[in-house]
Amino acid sequence: MKAYIKVIILILICLAVLTPLASDFPDGLEKVAETLGIEEHDPTWKGLMPDYTLPTIDNPYISTFVAGTFGVFLVLGVAFILGIVITKPSR
Amino acid sequence: MHIPDGFLNPAICALMGAISTGFLVWSWRKARATYPRSLAPLLAVSSAFVFAAQMINFPIVYGTSGHLVGGTFLSMLLGPYAAILSMTIVLMMQALFFADGGIFTFGANVFNMAVIGGLSFFLIKLLTRNPKRSGWLFRSIFFVSWLSVVLGALACGLQISFSPVFSEAGGIAVTVPAMLFWHILIGLGEAATTTTLVSQLHRLQPTILSGLTILRGRQSESIH
Repeated sequence: MKAYIKVIILILICLAVLTPLASDFPDGLEKVAETLGIEEHDPTWKGLMPDYTLPTIDNPYISTFVAGTFGVFLVLGVAFILGIVITKPSR
Repeated sequence: MHIPDGFLNPAICALMGAISTGFLVWSWRKARATYPRSLAPLLAVSSAFVFAAQMINFPIVYGTSGHLVGGTFLSMLLGPYAAILSMTIVLMMQALFFADGGIFTFGANVFNMAVIGGLSFFLIKLLTRNPKRSGWLFRSIFFVSWLSVVLGALACGLQISFSPVFSEAGGIAVTVPAMLFWHILIGLGEAATTTTLVSQLHRLQPTILSGLTILRGRQSESIH
């Protein structure tokens, strides 16, 4: 269990260090759409944190980091529940 | 490669939703028959890792970027069934909370990234089946993780080509080559990252790849 906690801390450190370095360029699909002159509509469902930012936090770095940290723990929790549900209890 | 709402026509959304649902039911059943409870923490942490890694876009060329998809990586750690389900959780949280990937296009996104990524396990298993090729594991992981991104992009190019906006812009003859061009390059990033991650994890914790019964069969073959 200790090893898993270390890995989670490592993931959060990597997130803190690497998010400011992440590229803002469009990804493959966005680039194809852009080249063809196709506009992405405003999403039907905006979610709580559109584009991994908290609308209430002005600083883009902190905003993305907080959204990312929230997402990491969210996925961690939901995937753990999934892990319990889809596996056989050990006898 | 996350398709936003508005890029697919309703028929394609429904078709991909049905296909992905089929794969999810299959994975769920297989997972329940295969995995021990001890998999749960590894599944949780590796899913969280893939979520974080997908936030970090790396630049390619000509003002385009890509990020790790992680399907092949998950399939190496968790086996195909849990990998498909794990990636589906990541995509679901991205669509629900971060507006990354649409709601109606969810089925297509699950197919392009989770299903294709998870199934890469079987191709790697096939490529490394011959015991004389035990050194082929990392070469296979490199090739298959690259292929998983390219095939996902091919599927995505086909899906978007049917929508009115893209068919007006030239349809399949434009979308498929364009998607393939960018993702042949993005796939190299995927391949380098996946191979590095799996080989380093294997070095630090050799049991990580043999922890699963389904993987153990192949591992013991390659030792003898």
